[in-house]
Amino acid sequence: MPVQLLLGLIVVLVVFAVVRAYAPERTLLAGVVLGLGALALLAVDSRALLSLEFWVGLIGFAAILSALLVVIHPNPMVSILFLIVNLFCIALFYLILQAQFLAALQIIIYAGAIMVLFLFVVMLLNLKTEVGLHVAGGPQRWGALLLGAAFTALLFHAIRGRLDQAYVESGMFDSSFGAARGVGGLLFSKYLFAFEAASLLLIAAMIGAVVMAKRKVR
Amino acid sequence: MMRVEFFLFIAALLFAIGCVGVLIRRNAIVILMCIELMLNAVNLTFVAFAHENQSMTGQVFVFFVMTVAAAEAAVGLAIVIALFRRRLTTDVEDASLMRW
Repeated sequence: MPVQLLLGLIVVLVVFAVVRAYAPERTLLAGVVLGLGALALLAVDSRALLSLEFWVGLIGFAAILSALLVVIHPNPMVSILFLIVNLFCIALFYLILQAQFLAALQIIIYAGAIMVLFLFVVMLLNLKTEVGLHVAGGPQRWGALLLGAAFTALLFHAIRGRLDQAYVESGMFDSSFGAARGVGGLLFSKYLFAFEAASLLLIAAMIGAVVMAKRKVR
Repeated sequence: MMRVEFFLFIAALLFAIGCVGVLIRRNAIVILMCIELMLNAVNLTFVAFAHENQSMTGQVFVFFVMTVAAAEAAVGLAIVIALFRRRLTTDVEDASLMRW
């Protein structure tokens, strides 16, 4: 059963993270024991490795975990690296969802260009790890957590409503769906105006960034 | 094949995490990263629905969201640099000149 295997591996990872956080001197021992446990789990149910559900679940877990670490890690540099992990997970989701072109764009533009920009700025400003975790105080913090929980509950409720509908297998597999040809064709015909507007936006952003970051504006 | 709802659940969680991050973190760079996180969650939703409907329009929208994200990151980081030059901080609590 891929789901049980997935849950087992997630428990193994979480236990390892907890041991590493609270008892750093036991990290090696815990790593060896839990690694053997994970291998045993995989040996018991090695066929699950061939199922898509298992891998998608694992990638989803990695995406959620890295997103949480982006938010809670005190060092901005580590946050950036975990955000890159998150972007790669989402690129894998794009591949699974038949968006090959977007998966390539995601890695080239997001992980390759935008995150390098972030890394560059953090290195330029030479930011130190925050003392403690510098978060908003009192009411704003609890309000934010409450709002996040309520928002998640609302979205989950909305999506659960869809689960009642019968699942329709989406036709036959079309290998040209999501390829550069199809997306580009739409981009240069139906959405040509939006495409040109996007180029204008990029030029405006470039000029704005240069003017803003210049040492002295006269 | 997986049900599309699974990806919607993941995207909803990622969006909520990014949302909470924007509200509780005070470091301007981390706030920008959380905004990227939220934009990515929305992109994942777009791609999931594009897959469900077998229509590539959703993927074209992801392309535009990526463009906006790039522009927003460039301008946002330039503002952070300008702020750091004047105040030697990236804490948004210290950038309170225009605050009511």
